[in-house]
Amino acid sequence: MKNILYLLGIILLVQIVVTIPSCQKDDPDISPIGQSEVTVDLSTVPYPVLSDYKFFRGEMKYQIPSSDVIAYAPATPLFTDYALKKRFIWMPDGEKASYVADNKVLEMPVGTVLIKTFYYKNVLPNGATKIIETRLLIRKASGWIFANYKWNDEQTEAYLTTSASTVPISWLQDGEQKSTNYRIPSETECLICHKHQGQPVPIGIKPQNLNNLFKYTEGSRNQLSKLIQAGYLEPGLPANITSTINYKDQSKSVDLRLRSYLDANCAHCHAEGGHCDYRPMRLAFSETVDPVNIGLCVEPDEFVGAAYTSIITPSQPDRSVMHLRLSTNQPNLRMPLIGRTIVHEEGLELLEEWIYSKKDCH
Amino acid sequence: MKKPYFLLLALGFPIMSMAQVTFTATNYNQIPSGWPSYNLATVDMNGDYLDDIVVVSATEITILYQQAAGGFTSTTITTTNADYTPDWSMAVGDIDKNGFNDLLYGSGGGVTFMKANATGTAYTETSFNEYVFSQRTNFVDINNDGHLDAFVCHDVAPNVYYINDGSGNLTFNQGGIGDHAEGGNYGSIWVDYDNDGDQDCFIAKCRGGGSSASIDELHQNDGNGNFTNVAVAANMANADQSWSGAWNDYDNDGDMDAMVGASSAPNGETGVHSLMRNNGDGTFTNITNGTGWENNNTLSIEHVSYDFDNNGFADMFGGSDYLAGGGGKFMYNNGDMTFTAFVDPGVNISDASIGDLNNDGFLDLRDGQTVYYNNGNNNNWIKIQLKGIASNFNGIGARVEIYGAWGKQIRDVRSGDGFAHMNTLNVHFGIGTATEIDSVRVLWPSGHVDVVDSPTINNDVTIVEGADPLSLIEIGNQKLELFPNPATVSLSISNVGLLNVSELTIYNMHGEKMLTQSRNFETINVSTLAEGAYILMIQTTDGEKYSESFVKKN
Repeated sequence: MKNILYLLGIILLVQIVVTIPSCQKDDPDISPIGQSEVTVDLSTVPYPVLSDYKFFRGEMKYQIPSSDVIAYAPATPLFTDYALKKRFIWMPDGEKASYVADNKVLEMPVGTVLIKTFYYKNVLPNGATKIIETRLLIRKASGWIFANYKWNDEQTEAYLTTSASTVPISWLQDGEQKSTNYRIPSETECLICHKHQGQPVPIGIKPQNLNNLFKYTEGSRNQLSKLIQAGYLEPGLPANITSTINYKDQSKSVDLRLRSYLDANCAHCHAEGGHCDYRPMRLAFSETVDPVNIGLCVEPDEFVGAAYTSIITPSQPDRSVMHLRLSTNQPNLRMPLIGRTIVHEEGLELLEEWIYSKKDCH
Repeated sequence: MKKPYFLLLALGFPIMSMAQVTFTATNYNQIPSGWPSYNLATVDMNGDYLDDIVVVSATEITILYQQAAGGFTSTTITTTNADYTPDWSMAVGDIDKNGFNDLLYGSGGGVTFMKANATGTAYTETSFNEYVFSQRTNFVDINNDGHLDAFVCHDVAPNVYYINDGSGNLTFNQGGIGDHAEGGNYGSIWVDYDNDGDQDCFIAKCRGGGSSASIDELHQNDGNGNFTNVAVAANMANADQSWSGAWNDYDNDGDMDAMVGASSAPNGETGVHSLMRNNGDGTFTNITNGTGWENNNTLSIEHVSYDFDNNGFADMFGGSDYLAGGGGKFMYNNGDMTFTAFVDPGVNISDASIGDLNNDGFLDLRDGQTVYYNNGNNNNWIKIQLKGIASNFNGIGARVEIYGAWGKQIRDVRSGDGFAHMNTLNVHFGIGTATEIDSVRVLWPSGHVDVVDSPTINNDVTIVEGADPLSLIEIGNQKLELFPNPATVSLSISNVGLLNVSELTIYNMHGEKMLTQSRNFETINVSTLAEGAYILMIQTTDGEKYSESFVKKN
């Protein structure tokens, strides 16, 4: 199957070459058949610029993946100040990931690269799309490494950066102007969430988050099936995968929507074994079947005001600590602690809906 | 005067009363409140030793200066824009010895210093580019050169500190005082736990996932600014999830004990706090059971120790029992290393900055716009106010001792106690029903010792470093004396041969070094000095320091 994709990719490239002859010299169609266009030399990565990897074809800002770079998206994404994201995965030729558990990150082979580009649409003043950064997680023999690439203003290249920086940005969000000082994190900051026993790890790429339809150029398909067909995932997954959903999907229950939202936004710290597992919540999707783990009628450890008697007080958002923490931008009070500086209105509304749906402590 | 007390002791009467205090809330609308204001500090800002109310934002500092006649005068000063705001904690100290305190802001992204000008009327920010997920911040003279440095707990990486060049210019450092790669550093308390005269650093730590970053650290200072984590040997390597430790000499035996406060009880366990008695030999024993602490299940990120009821024994405040009727949680020290819990329904908070906001000798609490005034009792007290000369201006790191019928009480002067707040830099002691203090002794970070005999109780005493030196210097009935005093051309020292002197140094009253002399110790030429008061410091070859003040006249 992978070979067919290569073939398709090469046909596509040939078309580009034909239509834009001036690019001929630089285009990657000189790659021998059967070899990936992508170049990942584990002994020299991270490269100084993003284009060195050849993950994308054509103008890089359009993020058109090379033939064996596959787009994916978790059912519910992490909210980071309304940044939009494109995610891709690439593996060396012949390598495959394997299933571990519904709620566990896929076991990915050495050489795997996860690619995540953060951008905004309708950026003020002129309504353009602006890519801010592309983050890579690269699987070396010794483990995962982070590599962050910051895009230039011309949107023609992204440069490796190891230190944190902020990018002020204003955009229209559903017609409403929003602004933030977007933070490109340092490696130390990446690790706050992306770690297991102190070692860097991916978070979102779990079967439970990929068991849903994704719009590929060739049409909508289940993401896990697509990965299997592409040769990136061992076939033979369990017949039933306990799966998260898109938190915006109004056709699903509020409970399922909130649990999916909490998993994506909170569970990297608030799960058994996480950065903050000393607090009473357990917010991974696999743990929130029991609402006590969401904090329903659970006394908080930390006093945040006399009104806030429980993490979740049934039908009373204004007496629920979790609601306070999602509704404030105050840095020592807000949750998540990092990755957001503005309130996620849609997530907060969902939490309110869930709190109102609870009439008692069960 | 002392005899009756000894008699009482002999008869077995307790001389200290156990008298819990209550607080009365008063609201001040002129205190800015609500984020992005940061209401963290209650501390003197203008050198009159009256605690002020300090509220900051990225571009403003509002100070409610406490007036000698009572009440406050409010001033708001526009500052240059702080890159980082004190989202997690704030510390206060005078880093350039100009008499006006400077500020240290610890944010989740970095660190900003806000420096006062020479008149305390304007502040200018200096920020550092390095990423720091700040937790507790402190001002402390880490390398003991007489200038305040700054220390910042890093939540997710090794701790950082900023060394002062002596002019208030700071240099970033990382490494050497808590280097766990994952951080987990929440509550740094600088304390001389081993009574060797230098500043050691305890770090209350917290981290989930079974990480070793949750294990508390105790960094022993070797006196040369080298720190070694001795927590395991000292029995202080506690893996509980703690954001703050409350250090004080709870049993008045002359060394600092620790109450390591838990911020969580992950498995629903009780008795999570740890009361650690200092054994006086560099080790600690967990004596929680039987002290009353085993029954305190109030979790908190803040724990601080002060003698709120002035009974002569240090108490603890931290947390709120709001579900059990509401109110701030106090643990009152009964004087025999047991504690009585008291939930004050009038103090519906879990943490506060602490100072004496009506100058009545009873410590008050402040949270936001509300001052919780201590209603006091009949107990007596004394307040010690320090002015460093060779040491840092605020006397941060000084050990203050009072002696009397009770024996000895001690305090350390700290900038940055508990988790987030900045509390008074004045040193408070309650003395119960005692009516006399034999002496106050200040052991300065410089090594100077000042002693004031029979200070007036229920009063404040200002001690200038070197102005009340420990017997300059009586050895076998022979005294070292400075003459002539005032001096014009040269100053002579009688009997200087009694000491193995290595160096003489003269400081002005701002702590600036004016003259040094490393031989011929009988006289020192002072003709170049301007008129005014000075301190002569004599350093011996064994590192002892003696000092005496003199006056220069033309």
